[in-house]
Amino acid sequence: MSVLLTPDQTAFLQGTLSMNVGAVGRDGWPCVCRAQGLVVARDRRSLTVLLSASRGRAVLESLDAGSAITLVASRPATHATLQLKAARAARVGVSAAHHAASARCVAAFGAELETLGYAAGLSATLAGVLPTDDLVALRFAPDIVFDQTPGPDAGRVLAHT
Amino acid sequence: MNISLESLRPCLDGAIPAVVATASPDGTPNVAYASQVHYVDSEHVALSFQFFSKTRENVLAHPYAQVQVIEPKSFRHFRLKVHYLRTETSGPLFEYMKAQLAGIAARSGMAKVFALRGADVYRVLDIENVDPRLLPAPAPPDALLKLRRTFAHLGACDDLTRLADRALAALAHGFGIRHALLALLDETGGALYTLASLGYSASGVGAEVALGEGLIGVAAREAIPVRINYHTGDYTYHAALYVADPASPRIPLPVLADPHSQIAVPLTHGEYLVGVLYAESEENAFFSHADEDALVVYGRHLAALIVQLAALPDDAEPALAAPAPAPSGAPLAVRYFAHDHSVFVDNDYLIKGVAGSILWTLLNEHAASGRRDFCNRELRRDPRLPLPDFGDNLETRLILLARRLAERCPQIALEKTGRGRFRLELARPLQLNAG
Repeated sequence: MSVLLTPDQTAFLQGTLSMNVGAVGRDGWPCVCRAQGLVVARDRRSLTVLLSASRGRAVLESLDAGSAITLVASRPATHATLQLKAARAARVGVSAAHHAASARCVAAFGAELETLGYAAGLSATLAGVLPTDDLVALRFAPDIVFDQTPGPDAGRVLAHT
Repeated sequence: MNISLESLRPCLDGAIPAVVATASPDGTPNVAYASQVHYVDSEHVALSFQFFSKTRENVLAHPYAQVQVIEPKSFRHFRLKVHYLRTETSGPLFEYMKAQLAGIAARSGMAKVFALRGADVYRVLDIENVDPRLLPAPAPPDALLKLRRTFAHLGACDDLTRLADRALAALAHGFGIRHALLALLDETGGALYTLASLGYSASGVGAEVALGEGLIGVAAREAIPVRINYHTGDYTYHAALYVADPASPRIPLPVLADPHSQIAVPLTHGEYLVGVLYAESEENAFFSHADEDALVVYGRHLAALIVQLAALPDDAEPALAAPAPAPSGAPLAVRYFAHDHSVFVDNDYLIKGVAGSILWTLLNEHAASGRRDFCNRELRRDPRLPLPDFGDNLETRLILLARRLAERCPQIALEKTGRGRFRLELARPLQLNAG
Protein backbone atom coordinates (compact mmCIF):
# COMPACT_ATOMS: atom_id res chain seq x y z
CA MET A 1 0.00 0.00 0.00
CA SER A 2 1.32 3.42 -0.89
CA VAL A 3 1.46 6.54 1.24
CA LEU A 4 -1.73 8.57 1.62
CA LEU A 5 -0.78 12.19 0.99
CA THR A 6 -2.27 14.66 3.42
CA PRO A 7 -4.58 17.40 2.12
CA ASP A 8 -1.82 19.94 2.84
CA GLN A 9 0.74 17.94 0.90
CA THR A 10 -1.74 17.55 -1.95
CA ALA A 11 -2.43 21.26 -2.03
CA PHE A 12 1.29 21.96 -1.98
CA LEU A 13 1.94 19.56 -4.84
CA GLN A 14 -0.74 21.20 -6.93
CA GLY A 15 0.59 24.69 -6.28
CA THR A 16 3.39 26.70 -7.84
CA LEU A 17 6.46 24.50 -7.96
CA SER A 18 9.92 23.94 -9.32
CA MET A 19 10.14 20.19 -9.93
CA ASN A 20 12.84 17.70 -10.78
CA VAL A 21 12.70 13.95 -11.29
CA GLY A 22 15.63 11.68 -10.55
CA ALA A 23 16.46 8.07 -11.38
CA VAL A 24 19.48 5.79 -11.50
CA GLY A 25 20.70 4.24 -14.74
CA ARG A 26 21.70 0.62 -15.15
CA ASP A 27 25.33 1.77 -15.04
CA GLY A 28 24.74 3.21 -11.56
CA TRP A 29 24.84 6.87 -12.65
CA PRO A 30 22.15 9.01 -11.12
CA CYS A 31 20.35 11.34 -13.51
CA VAL A 32 17.92 14.21 -13.19
CA CYS A 33 15.48 16.12 -15.36
CA ARG A 34 13.27 19.11 -14.73
CA ALA A 35 9.62 18.10 -14.58
CA GLN A 36 6.99 20.41 -16.00
CA GLY A 37 3.71 19.41 -14.50
CA LEU A 38 2.17 17.38 -11.74
CA VAL A 39 -1.26 15.92 -11.12
CA VAL A 40 -2.23 14.25 -7.84
CA ALA A 41 -4.76 11.43 -8.12
CA ARG A 42 -8.09 11.92 -6.38
CA ASP A 43 -7.34 9.14 -3.90
CA ARG A 44 -4.10 11.01 -2.94
CA ARG A 45 -2.11 7.78 -3.25
CA SER A 46 -0.47 8.37 -6.62
CA LEU A 47 0.82 11.20 -8.76
CA THR A 48 1.41 11.76 -12.44
CA VAL A 49 4.48 13.79 -13.23
CA LEU A 50 5.10 15.27 -16.66
CA LEU A 51 8.39 15.73 -18.42
CA SER A 52 9.77 16.30 -21.87
CA ALA A 53 10.82 13.12 -23.67
CA SER A 54 13.77 14.83 -25.35
CA ARG A 55 15.02 16.64 -22.25
CA GLY A 56 14.54 13.64 -19.97
CA ARG A 57 15.84 10.83 -22.14
CA ALA A 58 18.28 9.42 -19.56
CA VAL A 59 15.74 9.57 -16.75
CA LEU A 60 13.09 7.88 -18.87
CA GLU A 61 15.47 5.14 -20.02
CA SER A 62 16.49 4.52 -16.42
CA LEU A 63 12.88 4.30 -15.29
CA ASP A 64 12.01 2.03 -18.21
CA ALA A 65 14.87 -0.20 -17.06
CA GLY A 66 13.32 -0.45 -13.62
CA SER A 67 14.94 2.33 -11.65
CA ALA A 68 13.25 3.75 -8.60
CA ILE A 69 11.99 7.32 -9.02
CA THR A 70 12.33 10.42 -6.93
CA LEU A 71 10.50 13.70 -7.32
CA VAL A 72 11.63 16.90 -5.63
CA ALA A 73 9.12 19.72 -5.65
CA SER A 74 9.93 23.14 -4.22
CA ARG A 75 7.98 26.36 -3.88
CA PRO A 76 10.37 29.08 -5.14
CA ALA A 77 8.94 31.81 -2.93
CA THR A 78 9.26 29.89 0.34
CA HIS A 79 11.77 27.11 -0.44
CA ALA A 80 9.30 24.67 1.14
CA THR A 81 10.27 21.38 -0.48
CA LEU A 82 8.99 17.82 -0.54
CA GLN A 83 10.78 14.75 -1.90
CA LEU A 84 8.70 11.72 -2.82
CA LYS A 85 10.18 8.36 -3.74
CA ALA A 86 8.78 5.18 -5.17
CA ALA A 87 10.28 1.85 -6.18
CA ARG A 88 8.95 2.22 -9.71
CA ALA A 89 7.08 4.47 -12.08
CA ALA A 90 4.98 3.60 -15.11
CA ARG A 91 4.41 5.55 -18.29
CA VAL A 92 0.79 6.42 -18.93
CA GLY A 93 -0.90 8.08 -21.87
CA VAL A 94 -0.69 11.84 -22.09
CA SER A 95 -4.12 13.43 -22.01
CA ALA A 96 -5.35 16.90 -22.88
CA ALA A 97 -5.66 17.50 -19.14
CA HIS A 98 -1.97 16.71 -18.78
CA HIS A 99 -1.08 19.25 -21.47
CA ALA A 100 -3.20 21.84 -19.70
CA ALA A 101 -1.67 20.99 -16.33
CA SER A 102 1.84 21.33 -17.74
CA ALA A 103 1.13 24.70 -19.35
CA ARG A 104 -0.42 25.90 -16.09
CA CYS A 105 2.53 24.69 -13.98
CA VAL A 106 5.14 26.26 -16.24
CA ALA A 107 3.28 29.58 -16.38
CA ALA A 108 2.84 29.70 -12.60
CA PHE A 109 6.50 28.83 -12.06
CA GLY A 110 7.62 31.59 -14.42
CA ALA A 111 5.27 34.16 -12.90
CA GLU A 112 6.53 33.38 -9.41
CA LEU A 113 10.16 33.70 -10.46
CA GLU A 114 9.38 37.10 -11.97
CA THR A 115 7.90 38.28 -8.67
CA LEU A 116 11.10 37.10 -6.96
CA GLY A 117 13.21 39.43 -9.06
CA TYR A 118 14.35 37.14 -11.84
CA ALA A 119 14.36 38.60 -15.33
CA ALA A 120 11.10 40.07 -16.61
CA GLY A 121 9.69 38.01 -19.44
CA LEU A 122 10.84 34.80 -17.84
CA SER A 123 7.41 33.21 -18.27
CA ALA A 124 7.75 33.47 -22.03
CA THR A 125 11.32 32.16 -21.89
CA LEU A 126 10.24 29.19 -19.79
CA ALA A 127 7.45 28.33 -22.21
CA GLY A 128 10.18 28.00 -24.83
CA VAL A 129 12.47 25.97 -22.59
CA LEU A 130 9.71 23.65 -21.39
CA PRO A 131 7.38 23.11 -24.38
CA THR A 132 4.48 20.68 -24.08
CA ASP A 133 4.92 19.08 -27.50
CA ASP A 134 6.75 15.93 -26.39
CA LEU A 135 5.34 15.34 -22.94
CA VAL A 136 5.66 12.02 -21.22
CA ALA A 137 3.48 11.16 -18.23
CA LEU A 138 4.86 9.01 -15.41
CA ARG A 139 2.61 7.69 -12.70
CA PHE A 140 3.94 6.52 -9.38
CA ALA A 141 2.63 5.79 -5.91
CA PRO A 142 5.07 7.21 -3.33
CA ASP A 143 6.50 4.82 -0.75
CA ILE A 144 8.03 7.59 1.29
CA VAL A 145 7.70 11.36 1.62
CA PHE A 146 10.43 13.62 2.99
CA ASP A 147 10.48 17.22 4.10
CA GLN A 148 13.33 18.55 1.98
CA THR A 149 13.10 22.24 2.91
CA PRO A 150 16.70 23.49 3.11
CA GLY A 151 17.99 23.50 6.65
CA PRO A 152 19.11 21.12 9.34
CA ASP A 153 15.77 19.24 9.25
CA ALA A 154 15.97 18.49 5.54
CA GLY A 155 15.46 14.78 5.01
CA ARG A 156 12.91 14.29 7.78
CA VAL A 157 10.48 11.50 6.90
CA LEU A 158 6.90 12.75 6.81
CA ALA A 159 5.23 9.51 5.79
CA HIS A 160 6.19 6.07 4.62
CA THR A 161 4.55 2.76 3.86
CA MET B 1 33.99 17.30 -23.11
CA ASN B 2 32.47 19.20 -26.03
CA ILE B 3 31.37 22.01 -23.74
CA SER B 4 33.99 23.73 -21.65
CA LEU B 5 33.37 24.27 -17.97
CA GLU B 6 34.58 27.87 -18.39
CA SER B 7 31.65 28.57 -20.70
CA LEU B 8 29.28 27.59 -17.88
CA ARG B 9 30.66 30.05 -15.35
CA PRO B 10 27.56 32.30 -15.59
CA CYS B 11 25.56 29.25 -14.40
CA LEU B 12 27.84 28.90 -11.37
CA ASP B 13 27.20 32.19 -9.62
CA GLY B 14 24.29 31.10 -7.49
CA ALA B 15 21.70 33.13 -9.37
CA ILE B 16 19.47 30.10 -9.92
CA PRO B 17 19.65 27.09 -7.59
CA ALA B 18 21.22 23.93 -9.00
CA VAL B 19 20.12 20.40 -8.21
CA VAL B 20 22.27 17.38 -7.58
CA ALA B 21 21.20 13.79 -8.19
CA THR B 22 22.89 11.00 -6.29
CA ALA B 23 22.32 7.30 -5.73
CA SER B 24 22.40 5.30 -2.54
CA PRO B 25 24.23 1.94 -2.56
CA ASP B 26 20.91 0.12 -3.11
CA GLY B 27 20.26 2.22 -6.23
CA THR B 28 17.67 4.58 -4.81
CA PRO B 29 17.92 8.03 -6.43
CA ASN B 30 18.01 11.24 -4.46
CA VAL B 31 17.66 14.78 -5.75
CA ALA B 32 18.48 17.82 -3.65
CA TYR B 33 19.09 21.51 -4.17
CA ALA B 34 22.69 22.65 -4.11
CA SER B 35 23.12 26.13 -2.71
CA GLN B 36 26.36 26.64 -4.49
CA VAL B 37 28.16 25.04 -7.39
CA HIS B 38 31.50 26.78 -7.51
CA TYR B 39 33.87 26.89 -10.47
CA VAL B 40 37.26 25.64 -9.25
CA ASP B 41 39.14 25.19 -12.53
CA SER B 42 38.54 23.87 -16.03
CA GLU B 43 37.94 20.33 -14.71
CA HIS B 44 36.53 20.75 -11.22
CA VAL B 45 33.59 22.22 -9.39
CA ALA B 46 32.94 22.36 -5.67
CA LEU B 47 29.56 22.00 -4.00
CA SER B 48 28.83 23.54 -0.64
CA PHE B 49 28.50 21.04 2.19
CA GLN B 50 26.20 22.60 4.76
CA PHE B 51 24.36 19.72 6.40
CA PHE B 52 24.85 16.00 6.86
CA SER B 53 22.34 15.25 4.13
CA LYS B 54 21.31 12.26 2.06
CA THR B 55 23.34 13.73 -0.80
CA ARG B 56 26.46 13.66 1.32
CA GLU B 57 25.75 10.17 2.66
CA ASN B 58 25.27 8.96 -0.91
CA VAL B 59 28.40 10.48 -2.45
CA LEU B 60 30.58 9.19 0.36
CA ALA B 61 29.34 5.67 -0.43
CA HIS B 62 28.95 6.01 -4.21
CA PRO B 63 30.93 9.02 -5.47
CA TYR B 64 29.06 9.62 -8.74
CA ALA B 65 26.50 12.36 -9.17
CA GLN B 66 24.79 14.49 -11.76
CA VAL B 67 24.48 18.23 -11.25
CA GLN B 68 21.96 20.30 -13.18
CA VAL B 69 22.75 24.00 -13.54
CA ILE B 70 20.83 26.76 -15.29
CA GLU B 71 22.07 29.69 -17.32
CA PRO B 72 20.51 32.93 -16.12
CA LYS B 73 18.50 34.86 -18.72
CA SER B 74 18.32 32.03 -21.31
CA PHE B 75 17.28 29.43 -18.71
CA ARG B 76 19.18 26.79 -20.69
CA HIS B 77 19.84 23.73 -18.54
CA PHE B 78 23.17 21.88 -18.42
CA ARG B 79 23.89 18.55 -16.75
CA LEU B 80 27.30 17.73 -15.37
CA LYS B 81 28.43 14.19 -14.65
CA VAL B 82 30.70 14.55 -11.66
CA HIS B 83 32.92 12.36 -9.51
CA TYR B 84 33.36 13.30 -5.84
CA LEU B 85 37.03 13.61 -4.88
CA ARG B 86 37.43 15.25 -1.47
CA THR B 87 36.13 17.77 1.04
CA GLU B 88 38.11 20.86 2.00
CA THR B 89 37.32 22.44 5.36
CA SER B 90 39.84 25.28 5.35
CA GLY B 91 42.03 27.19 2.93
CA PRO B 92 41.37 29.47 -0.02
CA LEU B 93 38.61 27.47 -1.73
CA PHE B 94 36.72 26.99 1.53
CA GLU B 95 37.05 30.67 2.47
CA TYR B 96 35.92 31.85 -0.97
CA MET B 97 32.87 29.58 -0.92
CA LYS B 98 32.05 30.58 2.63
CA ALA B 99 32.04 34.25 1.66
CA GLN B 100 30.09 33.67 -1.53
CA LEU B 101 27.56 31.46 0.25
CA ALA B 102 26.78 34.37 2.56
CA GLY B 103 25.61 36.31 -0.50
CA ILE B 104 23.68 33.41 -2.00
CA ALA B 105 22.03 32.62 1.33
CA ALA B 106 20.89 36.19 1.78
CA ARG B 107 19.51 36.34 -1.75
CA SER B 108 17.45 33.22 -1.15
CA GLY B 109 16.26 34.39 2.25
CA MET B 110 18.05 31.51 3.93
CA ALA B 111 20.87 33.33 5.66
CA LYS B 112 20.19 31.83 9.07
CA VAL B 113 20.37 28.22 7.94
CA PHE B 114 23.35 28.44 5.60
CA ALA B 115 26.71 27.76 7.15
CA LEU B 116 29.50 26.11 5.24
CA ARG B 117 30.98 22.96 6.75
CA GLY B 118 33.09 22.06 3.76
CA ALA B 119 33.75 22.46 0.06
CA ASP B 120 33.08 19.15 -1.71
CA VAL B 121 35.35 18.99 -4.74
CA TYR B 122 34.20 17.02 -7.79
CA ARG B 123 35.89 16.26 -11.08
CA VAL B 124 33.61 17.06 -14.04
CA LEU B 125 33.56 14.14 -16.45
CA ASP B 126 30.95 15.26 -18.94
CA ILE B 127 28.71 18.23 -19.70
CA GLU B 128 25.40 17.92 -21.53
CA ASN B 129 23.52 20.84 -23.00
CA VAL B 130 19.92 19.89 -22.26
CA ASP B 131 18.53 22.64 -24.51
CA PRO B 132 20.69 22.77 -27.65
CA ARG B 133 17.88 24.30 -29.68
CA LEU B 134 17.82 27.44 -27.50
CA LEU B 135 19.98 30.49 -28.04
CA PRO B 136 22.58 31.22 -25.36
CA ALA B 137 22.16 34.23 -23.11
CA PRO B 138 23.65 37.44 -24.52
CA ALA B 139 27.35 37.65 -23.80
CA PRO B 140 28.23 39.95 -20.89
CA PRO B 141 30.35 43.06 -21.59
CA ASP B 142 33.89 42.13 -22.57
CA ALA B 143 36.02 42.22 -19.42
CA LEU B 144 39.24 42.34 -21.43
CA LEU B 145 38.06 45.50 -23.12
CA LYS B 146 37.18 46.96 -19.72
CA LEU B 147 40.66 46.13 -18.52
CA ARG B 148 42.25 47.70 -21.57
CA ARG B 149 40.29 50.92 -20.99
CA THR B 150 41.34 50.87 -17.34
CA PHE B 151 45.01 50.58 -18.26
CA ALA B 152 44.63 53.34 -20.85
CA HIS B 153 43.21 55.66 -18.21
CA LEU B 154 45.80 54.68 -15.63
CA GLY B 155 48.53 55.82 -18.01
CA ALA B 156 52.11 56.25 -16.92
CA CYS B 157 52.53 56.63 -13.17
CA ASP B 158 56.01 57.68 -12.13
CA ASP B 159 55.30 58.12 -8.46
CA LEU B 160 53.13 56.49 -5.85
CA THR B 161 51.01 59.56 -5.18
CA ARG B 162 49.89 59.66 -8.79
CA LEU B 163 49.32 55.92 -8.80
CA ALA B 164 47.16 56.14 -5.68
CA ASP B 165 45.17 58.93 -7.32
CA ARG B 166 44.66 57.17 -10.61
CA ALA B 167 44.37 53.50 -9.75
CA LEU B 168 40.75 53.81 -8.63
CA ALA B 169 39.66 56.55 -11.02
CA ALA B 170 40.79 54.30 -13.87
CA LEU B 171 38.42 51.59 -12.63
CA ALA B 172 35.51 53.98 -12.92
CA HIS B 173 36.36 54.53 -16.58
CA GLY B 174 37.09 50.92 -17.40
CA PHE B 175 34.56 48.98 -15.33
CA GLY B 176 31.99 51.57 -14.36
CA ILE B 177 32.95 50.98 -10.72
CA ARG B 178 31.71 53.82 -8.53
CA HIS B 179 32.88 52.70 -5.10
CA ALA B 180 36.31 51.28 -4.42
CA LEU B 181 39.28 51.50 -2.12
CA LEU B 182 42.92 50.56 -2.11
CA ALA B 183 44.29 49.09 1.13
CA LEU B 184 47.93 48.22 1.67
CA LEU B 185 49.42 45.67 4.03
CA ASP B 186 51.18 47.29 6.97
CA GLU B 187 54.66 46.57 8.31
CA THR B 188 53.43 43.96 10.76
CA GLY B 189 51.59 41.97 8.12
CA GLY B 190 48.64 41.81 10.49
CA ALA B 191 46.50 44.62 9.13
CA LEU B 192 45.83 46.75 6.07
CA TYR B 193 45.48 50.50 5.89
CA THR B 194 43.45 52.45 3.37
CA LEU B 195 45.58 54.53 1.05
CA ALA B 196 42.93 55.78 -1.39
CA SER B 197 39.22 55.50 -1.99
CA LEU B 198 36.68 56.34 -4.67
CA GLY B 199 33.08 57.42 -4.45
CA TYR B 200 32.50 57.79 -0.70
CA SER B 201 31.42 60.84 1.24
CA ALA B 202 34.45 60.42 3.56
CA SER B 203 37.70 59.22 2.06
CA GLY B 204 38.52 56.86 4.93
CA VAL B 205 42.21 57.29 4.18
CA GLY B 206 44.12 55.68 7.05
CA ALA B 207 41.27 53.33 8.00
CA GLU B 208 42.57 49.92 9.00
CA VAL B 209 41.31 46.37 8.50
CA ALA B 210 42.59 43.37 10.42
CA LEU B 211 43.95 40.50 8.36
CA GLY B 212 41.35 37.76 7.96
CA GLU B 213 38.41 39.92 8.95
CA GLY B 214 35.67 40.91 6.54
CA LEU B 215 35.91 40.48 2.80
CA ILE B 216 39.05 42.61 2.51
CA GLY B 217 40.80 40.78 5.32
CA VAL B 218 39.87 37.33 3.95
CA ALA B 219 41.15 38.25 0.48
CA ALA B 220 44.41 39.41 2.06
CA ARG B 221 44.91 36.47 4.41
CA GLU B 222 44.18 33.86 1.75
CA ALA B 223 45.66 35.92 -1.13
CA ILE B 224 42.59 35.09 -3.22
CA PRO B 225 39.96 37.16 -4.98
CA VAL B 226 36.59 36.98 -3.22
CA ARG B 227 33.40 38.03 -4.96
CA ILE B 228 29.93 38.21 -3.44
CA ASN B 229 27.20 38.79 -5.97
CA TYR B 230 24.28 39.58 -3.74
CA HIS B 231 23.53 41.66 -0.73
CA THR B 232 24.44 39.67 2.34
CA GLY B 233 23.04 39.97 5.81
CA ASP B 234 26.04 38.01 7.08
CA TYR B 235 27.92 40.59 9.09
CA THR B 236 31.06 38.51 8.83
CA TYR B 237 31.56 40.04 5.42
CA HIS B 238 30.61 43.61 6.13
CA ALA B 239 33.85 45.38 5.49
CA ALA B 240 32.84 48.35 7.62
CA LEU B 241 32.77 46.40 10.85
CA TYR B 242 36.36 45.32 10.91
CA VAL B 243 39.19 47.30 12.34
CA ALA B 244 42.67 46.24 13.37
CA ASP B 245 42.22 47.12 17.02
CA PRO B 246 38.73 48.07 18.21
CA ALA B 247 40.08 49.59 21.45
CA SER B 248 42.27 52.17 19.77
CA PRO B 249 41.17 55.35 18.01
CA ARG B 250 40.14 54.59 14.50
CA ILE B 251 39.16 56.00 11.17
CA PRO B 252 36.02 54.29 9.86
CA LEU B 253 36.22 52.46 6.55
CA PRO B 254 34.15 54.49 4.13
CA VAL B 255 32.38 51.52 2.51
CA LEU B 256 28.68 51.22 1.63
CA ALA B 257 26.44 50.11 4.48
CA ASP B 258 24.39 47.88 2.22
CA PRO B 259 26.37 46.68 -0.80
CA HIS B 260 24.68 44.25 -3.19
CA SER B 261 27.89 43.19 -4.92
CA GLN B 262 31.39 43.14 -3.50
CA ILE B 263 34.78 42.06 -4.74
CA ALA B 264 38.16 42.05 -3.02
CA VAL B 265 41.24 41.27 -5.09
CA PRO B 266 44.70 40.74 -3.60
CA LEU B 267 47.53 42.90 -4.90
CA THR B 268 50.30 40.35 -5.20
CA HIS B 269 53.77 40.69 -6.63
CA GLY B 270 55.26 37.24 -6.94
CA GLU B 271 54.66 35.66 -3.55
CA TYR B 272 54.52 39.04 -1.86
CA LEU B 273 51.17 40.50 -0.80
CA VAL B 274 51.13 44.27 -1.20
CA GLY B 275 47.50 44.97 -0.37
CA VAL B 276 43.91 44.56 -1.52
CA LEU B 277 41.77 46.29 -4.12
CA TYR B 278 38.14 46.37 -2.98
CA ALA B 279 35.16 47.44 -5.06
CA GLU B 280 31.44 47.32 -4.44
CA SER B 281 28.14 48.20 -6.02
CA GLU B 282 24.55 48.83 -5.06
CA GLU B 283 23.51 46.51 -7.92
CA ASN B 284 23.20 42.73 -7.64
CA ALA B 285 25.63 40.62 -9.69
CA PHE B 286 27.62 43.68 -10.74
CA PHE B 287 30.88 41.75 -11.04
CA SER B 288 31.07 38.75 -13.37
CA HIS B 289 33.53 35.87 -13.31
CA ALA B 290 35.31 37.59 -16.21
CA ASP B 291 35.44 40.87 -14.25
CA GLU B 292 37.05 38.95 -11.42
CA ASP B 293 39.67 37.59 -13.85
CA ALA B 294 40.36 41.06 -15.21
CA LEU B 295 40.58 42.66 -11.77
CA VAL B 296 43.03 39.99 -10.64
CA VAL B 297 45.26 40.98 -13.58
CA TYR B 298 44.82 44.65 -12.67
CA GLY B 299 45.68 43.87 -9.05
CA ARG B 300 48.91 42.18 -10.08
CA HIS B 301 49.78 45.13 -12.27
CA LEU B 302 49.14 47.61 -9.44
CA ALA B 303 51.21 45.51 -7.04
CA ALA B 304 54.14 45.43 -9.45
CA LEU B 305 53.91 49.19 -9.94
CA ILE B 306 53.76 49.85 -6.21
CA VAL B 307 56.81 47.68 -5.56
CA GLN B 308 58.69 49.22 -8.46
CA LEU B 309 57.91 52.83 -7.54
CA ALA B 310 58.64 52.28 -3.86
CA ALA B 311 62.10 50.96 -4.79
CA LEU B 312 63.12 53.98 -6.85
CA PRO B 313 65.99 55.94 -5.24
CA ASP B 314 65.40 59.34 -3.68
CA ASP B 315 66.48 62.44 -5.60
CA ALA B 316 70.09 63.17 -4.76
CA GLU B 317 70.06 66.96 -4.69
CA PRO B 318 68.28 68.64 -1.81
CA ALA B 319 65.55 70.99 -2.96
CA LEU B 320 66.03 74.65 -2.11
CA ALA B 321 64.03 75.74 0.89
CA ALA B 322 61.61 78.49 0.02
CA PRO B 323 61.30 81.39 2.43
CA ALA B 324 58.36 80.76 4.71
CA PRO B 325 56.35 83.30 6.60
CA ALA B 326 56.29 82.55 10.32
CA PRO B 327 53.04 80.82 11.21
CA SER B 328 50.63 83.02 13.09
CA GLY B 329 47.42 82.64 15.08
CA ALA B 330 46.56 80.55 18.09
CA PRO B 331 48.85 77.53 18.46
CA LEU B 332 47.53 74.08 17.58
CA ALA B 333 47.83 71.65 20.47
CA VAL B 334 49.50 68.50 19.11
CA ARG B 335 49.46 65.57 21.52
CA TYR B 336 51.34 62.32 20.98
CA PHE B 337 50.90 58.96 22.70
CA ALA B 338 53.96 56.78 22.35
CA HIS B 339 52.29 53.43 23.07
CA ASP B 340 50.45 53.43 19.74
CA HIS B 341 52.08 56.47 18.12
CA SER B 342 48.73 58.20 17.94
CA VAL B 343 48.58 61.93 17.28
CA PHE B 344 45.72 64.22 18.28
CA VAL B 345 45.39 67.84 17.13
CA ASP B 346 43.28 70.06 19.40
CA ASN B 347 41.97 66.81 20.89
CA ASP B 348 40.81 65.41 17.54
CA TYR B 349 42.30 62.09 16.47
CA LEU B 350 44.51 62.46 13.43
CA ILE B 351 46.64 59.35 12.84
CA LYS B 352 48.53 56.59 14.62
CA GLY B 353 51.10 53.90 13.97
CA VAL B 354 54.04 54.52 11.67
CA ALA B 355 52.44 57.60 10.10
CA GLY B 356 51.81 59.10 13.57
CA SER B 357 55.38 58.42 14.57
CA ILE B 358 56.71 60.06 11.39
CA LEU B 359 54.62 63.17 11.97
CA TRP B 360 55.72 63.46 15.59
CA THR B 361 59.38 63.10 14.58
CA LEU B 362 59.07 65.76 11.87
CA LEU B 363 57.30 68.23 14.13
CA ASN B 364 59.89 67.79 16.89
CA GLU B 365 62.74 68.15 14.43
CA HIS B 366 61.20 71.34 13.13
CA ALA B 367 60.65 72.67 16.67
CA ALA B 368 64.25 71.95 17.60
CA SER B 369 66.09 73.11 14.49
CA GLY B 370 63.60 75.00 12.35
CA ARG B 371 64.16 72.52 9.53
CA ARG B 372 61.37 72.16 7.04
CA ASP B 373 62.96 69.99 4.33
CA PHE B 374 63.29 66.28 4.83
CA CYS B 375 64.09 63.21 2.80
CA ASN B 376 62.99 59.59 3.00
CA ARG B 377 66.56 58.34 3.45
CA GLU B 378 67.03 60.11 6.77
CA LEU B 379 63.67 58.86 8.01
CA ARG B 380 64.67 55.30 7.19
CA ARG B 381 67.80 55.74 9.33
CA ASP B 382 65.99 57.46 12.19
CA PRO B 383 65.94 55.14 15.22
CA ARG B 384 62.86 56.89 16.61
CA LEU B 385 60.69 55.49 13.80
CA PRO B 386 59.26 51.95 14.05
CA LEU B 387 60.25 50.97 10.51
CA PRO B 388 61.37 47.46 9.61
CA ASP B 389 64.65 46.95 7.77
CA PHE B 390 62.90 45.89 4.59
CA GLY B 391 59.55 46.64 2.98
CA ASP B 392 58.95 49.66 5.15
CA ASN B 393 56.09 51.19 3.10
CA LEU B 394 57.56 54.58 4.01
CA GLU B 395 56.49 56.27 0.79
CA THR B 396 52.90 55.07 1.06
CA ARG B 397 52.84 56.01 4.74
CA LEU B 398 53.89 59.53 3.79
CA ILE B 399 51.14 59.68 1.14
CA LEU B 400 48.65 58.50 3.74
CA LEU B 401 49.91 61.08 6.23
CA ALA B 402 49.78 63.91 3.70
CA ARG B 403 46.22 62.99 2.73
CA ARG B 404 45.06 62.63 6.28
CA LEU B 405 46.55 66.06 7.12
CA ALA B 406 44.88 67.62 4.09
CA GLU B 407 41.53 66.25 5.23
CA ARG B 408 41.70 66.78 8.96
CA CYS B 409 44.35 69.36 9.68
CA PRO B 410 45.24 71.48 6.64
CA GLN B 411 47.25 73.86 8.86
CA ILE B 412 49.98 71.22 8.75
CA ALA B 413 50.97 70.01 5.29
CA LEU B 414 53.58 67.83 3.66
CA GLU B 415 54.52 69.10 0.19
CA LYS B 416 56.48 66.87 -2.15
CA THR B 417 59.66 68.56 -3.36
CA GLY B 418 61.18 65.67 -5.30
CA ARG B 419 61.38 61.92 -5.33
CA GLY B 420 61.90 60.95 -1.71
CA ARG B 421 61.89 64.59 -0.59
CA PHE B 422 59.22 66.71 1.02
CA ARG B 423 58.69 69.91 2.96
CA LEU B 424 56.76 70.54 6.14
CA GLU B 425 54.42 73.55 5.77
CA LEU B 426 52.85 75.08 8.86
CA ALA B 427 50.07 77.67 8.78
CA ARG B 428 49.77 77.88 12.58
CA PRO B 429 52.27 77.66 15.43
CA LEU B 430 52.32 74.35 17.27
CA GLN B 431 52.34 73.36 20.91
CA LEU B 432 53.78 69.84 21.20
CA ASN B 433 52.93 67.56 24.12
CA ALA B 434 53.88 63.95 24.59
CA GLY B 435 51.13 62.24 26.60
